[in-house]
Amino acid sequence: MSASPLTHPAVTPGGSAALRLLGPLGRLARGLAILLAVFAAWEALVVLFGIRPYYLPRPTVILAALVQTPAPYIQGFLRTLSETLIGFASGALFGIGMGLLFFRARALRELVFPLFIVSQTIPVIAFGALVVLWFGNTLFAKAAIAFYLTFFPVTVNTLLGLESVDPRQEALLRSFGASPLQLMTRLQFPTALPQIFVALRLASSLALVGAIVGEWFGDTVGLGVLLLQGMYTENVVSIWATLLVSALLGTGFYAAVAGAERVLVFWGAEQ
Amino acid sequence: MSAAPEVIAAAPRAGGCALQRGVLGIVLFVLAWEGIARGFHLPSYTLPAVSDILASIYAKRSILFTAAGFTLTEAVVGYVIGALIGVTLAVVITLVPPTRAVLLPAATAINSVPVVAYSPLILLWFGIGMPSKFVMVALAVSFTVFLSTLAGFDRVDRRSVDLLRSFGAGRLAILWRLRLPTALPLMAAGLRVSTVRAIIVAIVTEMLGAYGGLGWVIYQAVLQIDFVQVWGAIFVASAASLAFFGLVGFAERRIIFWK
Amino acid sequence: MTNRRNVLAALAAGVALLGGAVTAAPAADLTKATLRLKWLPQTQFAGFYVAAAKGYYKDEGIDLTINPGGPNLLAENLVATGADTFGLSGGLDSVFAARDKNLPIVCIGIAHQMTPFVFVARADGPIKTIQDFKGKTVTTWFTGANHVLNAILAKNGIDPALVTIQPQQVSVTPFVDGQVDVITATRYNEYYTIKTRMGEEKLRTFVAEDSGITFPRDTLIVSETTAKEKPELVKAFLRASMKGWKDAFNDPKGAVDTVMAIAPTLDRAHQEFQLAEAKKLMVAGKVPEKGLFWIDMDAVKVTQQLFVDAKVISKPVDLAATFNTSFLEAIPLADRKP
Repeated sequence: MSASPLTHPAVTPGGSAALRLLGPLGRLARGLAILLAVFAAWEALVVLFGIRPYYLPRPTVILAALVQTPAPYIQGFLRTLSETLIGFASGALFGIGMGLLFFRARALRELVFPLFIVSQTIPVIAFGALVVLWFGNTLFAKAAIAFYLTFFPVTVNTLLGLESVDPRQEALLRSFGASPLQLMTRLQFPTALPQIFVALRLASSLALVGAIVGEWFGDTVGLGVLLLQGMYTENVVSIWATLLVSALLGTGFYAAVAGAERVLVFWGAEQ
Repeated sequence: MSAAPEVIAAAPRAGGCALQRGVLGIVLFVLAWEGIARGFHLPSYTLPAVSDILASIYAKRSILFTAAGFTLTEAVVGYVIGALIGVTLAVVITLVPPTRAVLLPAATAINSVPVVAYSPLILLWFGIGMPSKFVMVALAVSFTVFLSTLAGFDRVDRRSVDLLRSFGAGRLAILWRLRLPTALPLMAAGLRVSTVRAIIVAIVTEMLGAYGGLGWVIYQAVLQIDFVQVWGAIFVASAASLAFFGLVGFAERRIIFWK
Repeated sequence: MTNRRNVLAALAAGVALLGGAVTAAPAADLTKATLRLKWLPQTQFAGFYVAAAKGYYKDEGIDLTINPGGPNLLAENLVATGADTFGLSGGLDSVFAARDKNLPIVCIGIAHQMTPFVFVARADGPIKTIQDFKGKTVTTWFTGANHVLNAILAKNGIDPALVTIQPQQVSVTPFVDGQVDVITATRYNEYYTIKTRMGEEKLRTFVAEDSGITFPRDTLIVSETTAKEKPELVKAFLRASMKGWKDAFNDPKGAVDTVMAIAPTLDRAHQEFQLAEAKKLMVAGKVPEKGLFWIDMDAVKVTQQLFVDAKVISKPVDLAATFNTSFLEAIPLADRKP
């Protein structure tokens, strides 16, 4: 999902309302058509080659499993979504805050940044057992792991974005008597926002990874729980059903962040 | 994580003072850790002291180095497979444009599920030996490399392509002469980011089932209530990631400089 | 602007949802406690879920939350640190290992009175006796079952070096496909899967008890602090759990329903089989005379000697400090009997 927004410039809003409406609807229709085609091809492949359901069940079987016992998948979706949201929001806020701080205090940045980098080389799953000790079996234990995975890219991109501000523009605003706060809200932060959003889109996927991995450490509800349960009971259909729900969650959350970007960055540019 | 290398690359540029401060930061952190763990007499299952962890790494060095070798093998083999797949896909799409409409959505669909979520399935399919780790690492690496390479290929100036074409250059020649050199920096960034990811994915998969490796050591250590060993394995994993990252970064500087 | 507000509203709603989930306070006079299981929800733990669902813990004044386990969690550790009040932990092996590492935990009861593992070979294969393990590939879990395997080999005078012992796959497929000669199975999980896929008549099983070894597992533990400061809580927990288990034995269908409500993606037939097997394990040994969760100190001593011989633990532990039968004995025998 990160393909198109990363490589193509964001669609510039404008034109008539009808045109603006057609864009997303058209994209949605195209996406659905592709999805249907993939499912049809998958179903045909499994039937034609007689693939054992143990390896690849037919999509209709997976969808049937989802329809027959929807409760665990819906609950899992909601639980994992909440963990992802909390981890993402806290990671984003902390990341932006640290980016601002590092931008202002160069010495602090040079002192702390290497530690941040080292922190990212640590396999967070190794902490799973410790996080449960520290936070118990709460949503926050999972959100903490999601937070750990998200804050770093946001910090880096906030810093990069702030540093990309044209010094001449800065000098100009300063010459008009702008205070440091005005400088930040009117120039630096809006300039950095596109760069921040690149990291936020990445962080949206990472937060989901954190939430799912966190759920492997003893919980009853969540997509990670369903994956683990499916693995140990060799219930391949359930694993696939959970993968589909995870894809839905990942794509939806990513799209939400990308949508927020289109609205916010556009609004930022107008200032 | 994709943004990390840009700043890591930028850090040395800041000069010697930054380096000193960075080292100072790490030293202060380690001292604070040691002080808290010793001062509050924290039990090892809460937070062991750094000195204890280092002593344990030294005492168990043969186990840890064997495990690190195991994990690095999985990560490097999976990484090479993944990188080859990623670059190949990008080349195919560039040489045969109609395939873009199929390959890009397919890759995107596969990538819309977080990689770690595939591990239960991959472990059931490929067993708990090395093959399942190769697959997981390759899965994680290929997409990043694919996207960054494709973005690099797409970045070339339309007019340069037309110019070369007017001289009678074919798609292959344009790819080799024009697109590849232009794409190298982006490709390299993708390759560099993937190093750390490769090792983390290998360890995550090992923790769900393996015959050896750092993830397996961590798993066993948790069960044997040896938390100093857990931390030891974490330290070694972090060092291995940094080394792999540094190696690829070094290779990148050599190649791109030479180009 | 509207979009932005919507995003914020959604975020706020998410946070509110979470806050509600965490702070949903129970009735004031109940004591909050948690039970950490050794594995994911399944009917191996049916009695606890039944007791919770029927309000038996509430009747005893406990607001109990049941936390499942997982592959990278250790109940001993969570109980020792106070993260969880009660634990249904691995077994005597993990209890001894924890005490050996100075974790302050106390065993207050044992659920499975006999070895829950069996070693499975093909009935038509070359392995007819334990002696035939020599030169063959045996897979096992290095989380307790390996000790059983080593003890069986030792009892039969087989050098473990002659047997290729490997960590066991998540899946039983390598055994079904014939890549592995002997596989470890719990009576209630893997054995069911293998039996379903191959047919019971195609299998030959080796049981630890045939070699004179008993390996009690699924131990109930609390921290030393809880044992010392809250004996009434421990007794109340045991009373309610026994009631739940007896209900589960008397109404297995209802118990399976209760567990399946927690984990609806489980397979019902498998869970019914599992509960029946769990019952067999739980009412074995001295339980008919002494009641559920009985700690048979003679069996404990024999198992400890096994661990000392195998160097799993460095020295014998203080048995009096590790095992405490007083909580069980405080409950009238009639209530304890299954």
